[in-house]
Amino acid sequence: MKVSLFQQAPYRFMPEDFEERGEPSVVSTPYDELVEPAKAFDSYRWFVDELLAGLRAGFDGVAVTEHGQTSYDMTPNPNLPAAILANAIREERPEAALIVLGRSLGKTREPLRIAEEYAMLDCLSGGRLVAGLPVGLSYDANLNNGIPPVETRDRYRESHDLLMRSWTSPEPFTWNGRYSQYSLVNSWPRPLQKPHPPIWVPGAGTPGTMAWTLENGYAFVYLSWFGPTLTAHRIFDRFWDIADRHGKPRNPYRVGFVQSVVVSETDEAAEEEYGRYVERAFRQGPGSVPLHYMGLPGYVDIRGVEAIIRDPGDFGLAATLRRATFRELADTRSVIAGSPETVRRQIAEFAEEFRIGNLLVMLQMGGMPHDLTLRNIRLFAEEVLPHLQELWRGGEWENEWWPAGIAQTVEA
Amino acid sequence: MSRGTPSLEIEERVVPVGDGRVELVVQVAGSGPPVVYLHPAAGLAWDPFLERLAAEWTVYAPQVPGTAAGRPDAIRAVDDLWDLVLLYEEALRRLGLERPDLIGQSFGGMLACELAATFPKLPGGLVLLDAIGLWREDAPIVNWVATAPEQLGALLFHDPEGEAARAALTPPEDPDAAAVAIAATTWAIGCTAKFVWPVPDKGLVKRLHRIEAPTLVVWGREDRLAPAVYAEEFGSRIAGARVEVLDDCGHIPQLEQPEKTFALVSEFLWQQRPAT
Repeated sequence: MKVSLFQQAPYRFMPEDFEERGEPSVVSTPYDELVEPAKAFDSYRWFVDELLAGLRAGFDGVAVTEHGQTSYDMTPNPNLPAAILANAIREERPEAALIVLGRSLGKTREPLRIAEEYAMLDCLSGGRLVAGLPVGLSYDANLNNGIPPVETRDRYRESHDLLMRSWTSPEPFTWNGRYSQYSLVNSWPRPLQKPHPPIWVPGAGTPGTMAWTLENGYAFVYLSWFGPTLTAHRIFDRFWDIADRHGKPRNPYRVGFVQSVVVSETDEAAEEEYGRYVERAFRQGPGSVPLHYMGLPGYVDIRGVEAIIRDPGDFGLAATLRRATFRELADTRSVIAGSPETVRRQIAEFAEEFRIGNLLVMLQMGGMPHDLTLRNIRLFAEEVLPHLQELWRGGEWENEWWPAGIAQTVEA
Repeated sequence: MSRGTPSLEIEERVVPVGDGRVELVVQVAGSGPPVVYLHPAAGLAWDPFLERLAAEWTVYAPQVPGTAAGRPDAIRAVDDLWDLVLLYEEALRRLGLERPDLIGQSFGGMLACELAATFPKLPGGLVLLDAIGLWREDAPIVNWVATAPEQLGALLFHDPEGEAARAALTPPEDPDAAAVAIAATTWAIGCTAKFVWPVPDKGLVKRLHRIEAPTLVVWGREDRLAPAVYAEEFGSRIAGARVEVLDDCGHIPQLEQPEKTFALVSEFLWQQRPAT
């Protein structure tokens, strides 16, 4: 299994009672009232330093993603930190992957810009980019960026087609799309990886998006926040069923999974050291996203809305995350917490059961302090990582969704 | 959603428009001179106001593509507001309506203005019920699409606990019917939002002066979605418009002040008819 470090860039100094104020953690969260410039600087330098620490500690890759107007991940454009990481990969770990879990093609009004940024990152990193292409969160695409909810998915598809063509067309072309028009598309640069970098599609588990992901030969990525013991069977069973129906082999590398993890010497110590940060991070972050912001009217089609009303099970803990306790989070495995032995076992069980080939671990969340995070990264890298990397190794499956890199051809 | 009472017979006319690209569903009920009713963002509902109207008039109620039952994907065929206005005008022409009166509620009020401004000879009279479509920095329109479902009552009604609010917002008791109804309303809000997102100001202020039809503007004084200052905005920009602001009334006068609203609208509509 490939195991990468995934980081968000939360503002780390949210007030302790934030989740009790009833204020959302996204879209309208008051900035000046909550943020001190020096602490914003701290939040970002620690974010970058922790990713670099992960890179140096031997993770297979480093990963970031996009969230606009979000207090728990201040990353309106993940390609900015990715550019820092691209350079570090080139200099220090040329075999590592640079995973951008996504610039959202449903949110963007400038799809070509995403194609070009990704191409640059692939060039800067030496062909190490994994290009994430999420539809995008409803609140981010629709409220933050003004995309009509009902257009989000159609825009995603069109922007995807444009991006792919801009990467692969041998000739410049005119793009007369419904949502964007360009008189001549001829991107400089294009990705080093041919025909294009591996594509991962993070999603909430919508059957339509899963089918599309499979049809295009991309990998699917899901995340643990809503409690895998509640949701994982539903989501992954659905995915593999759809894969069977599309005649796609059950290659575990087709699936990525984001799991938050805290590790210490013992299970008790893990709860003691990290418990309050974990709890607050979930309550103040995803737990404080108003539920209706996850699907504004039109974002999910009429059949989908009806299905969700009849059976909201895909969303697990989402409705109660604002009040979740550490115990609930650990019991539902929204977070895996414990000794190296516990963490190894729980992740391995899970990865084997659901056939996960690309794991992304999130080792910092919310206000978790920098020192404690570095310790979490070090312990995980030393005590857990090598064991998990053995999973699927030497088996029948190729990781077709891992960056190929490029051999250096010209001596300086 | 179209909930007709047993007494009201509703006929569904499917009108192909846009060179066959869209089949516009128009619900028709009643008898008498033609009135076109343009529904609000949440879709068409045959409320008591429309039923009373249908006793004196033939009510034609086109449904925004995507909001008609069984045709949710029709919204994808319509690009934008300009496209929608042309499709509606074409449909009214195909129905053979001679200078019909236009009544528009909220989103439908904006659409009625766009039709009346783009095609000044199209309507007989124009009635706006708490229309959207204008924007004042000092009185921003509340984003109803982003409003939590449990807060819609307080946004739309002067008295969120009142009978009118309850009748409009309580889903059917049967869970199956409730799922269907909630999904339909949610989707209708999503479909209509396409034409006004993210700010419901698409330049109507520049076109209102083109309207030639006699106009009645009815507003709820306690409208929290589109504050009553907009009644004057519409009234002062449409030549000769008459403005009526109703007390104890929110965004939907025909539900919260049905008697007064019906009396005003009915009187106004009959005034537009040449004596026969």
